[in-house]
Amino acid sequence: MDFGTGAALPVSKPPLARQFNPYTSNGGTILALSGEDFSLVASDTRLSERFRIHTRDQPKTYKLTDNVVLGCCGFHGDVLTLNKLLAARIKMYKHQHDHEISCSSLAQMLSTILYSRRFFPFYTYNILIGLDEQGKGCVYSFDPVGSYERETYRAGGTGASMLQPLLDNQIGFKHQNIPEQDRPELTADRAIALVRDVFIGAAERDINTGDGLHMQLVTKDGIKTLDRFPLRKD
Amino acid sequence: MFLTRSEYDRGVNTFSPEGRLFQVEYAIEAIKLGSTALGIRTDQGVVLAVEKRVTSCLMEPSSLEKITQLDGHVACAFSGLTADARMLVDKARIESQNHWFAYNEPMKVESITQAISNLALKFSEDNEDDDEMSMSRPFGVALLVAGVDKDGARLYHLDPSGTYIHFDAKAIGSGSEGAQTSLQEIYKGDLSMDQITVHALQILKQVMEDKLNSVNVEVVQVQLDGVCKRLTQEQLQTYIEEISK
Repeated sequence: MDFGTGAALPVSKPPLARQFNPYTSNGGTILALSGEDFSLVASDTRLSERFRIHTRDQPKTYKLTDNVVLGCCGFHGDVLTLNKLLAARIKMYKHQHDHEISCSSLAQMLSTILYSRRFFPFYTYNILIGLDEQGKGCVYSFDPVGSYERETYRAGGTGASMLQPLLDNQIGFKHQNIPEQDRPELTADRAIALVRDVFIGAAERDINTGDGLHMQLVTKDGIKTLDRFPLRKD
Repeated sequence: MFLTRSEYDRGVNTFSPEGRLFQVEYAIEAIKLGSTALGIRTDQGVVLAVEKRVTSCLMEPSSLEKITQLDGHVACAFSGLTADARMLVDKARIESQNHWFAYNEPMKVESITQAISNLALKFSEDNEDDDEMSMSRPFGVALLVAGVDKDGARLYHLDPSGTYIHFDAKAIGSGSEGAQTSLQEIYKGDLSMDQITVHALQILKQVMEDKLNSVNVEVVQVQLDGVCKRLTQEQLQTYIEEISK
């Protein structure tokens, strides 16, 4: 027997790891705000991936019931699947309970759906708008795993960090020395004008936001889709 | 009886040639052996009243409970096999809490009743491989489900066949035939909560074998604000004095 050569034993290499990333960002910005008797949701219409544009015509608002609309962006595959699931659940609710689901119940349902995927989440930013039981406009904003709260305005998606401070100032009256009683009530017309301005700003700086602005207004008369407003296409 | 039923009443899931399920029909018969329970609904709320059969003076009457709460806004009275009722009540409580969890709203009374009725026909003789717990016979119990939701005050009657019907006033149990006739005579839509409670006790008094007192009846009022109130012995005593005038 030969023990003498002292050749090094083969050292095992760590296994070669191949990774599949199940997520990608398809960009897009959503924005929702509410007033006394209306709520409004807006989105840009660009669908992109890194430096490529998939389409210039993909609005990111989804009608769920006769007075509830969801703004939804992030990974488009998850957006589509989540909306299919919501549509099915809403129909099931209607058949089971013989009436249309309310905005607040829909918000809770969306939260439990998102949390059910706590460890493989839908990569979606969600903002739900509609009218509450008293007919007031309502906005529910969500994080991707289901934390939610009712607010009066909220931006989401890739341009959110550019929109939110502007809304804080213009609707939340942050850093303005205007006493509470002197603050003007938000009208639908002013809301629409404001949304256009803030989206022009986001389209200027965010490469994943642009092409067009899509807006849906919810009032007691139902959902109205506003005329497309053009944004930068570059 | 044996000839007419012609042995088609043996299997719980076998139709007779005339198209009847005898075991289910027998289960409905079983309710007629139970103590009388009745419910009356108006726009002001619902009242449920049941008799308690106190068969021995050594028995503690308060341990007999035949009206129970399903959710904050819904109560339920039952007649028939109490243990079977427990299973249905458990199911209703779970379903209504699941609904609150998923939708952050109280479940509709009809939906709760529907959820219970789904259990009613889940019986079969050969389900050993089924890991879900299931019954080998129909439930021998009928329920009166009373509650308040966005449609107002509601009263549903559910029988062992899984059929449920919305009633203004309904009686079940041994005295149900007489009680139902009396209910038809007294019922008006604009009665107050106080009035329907008095009527409920009066009718119960008519059909009960024992003399009605504050110990051998149980009354729950479901108010329009969704609060379920069980009447105390003192409150019952006041009502009983009123009807014996």
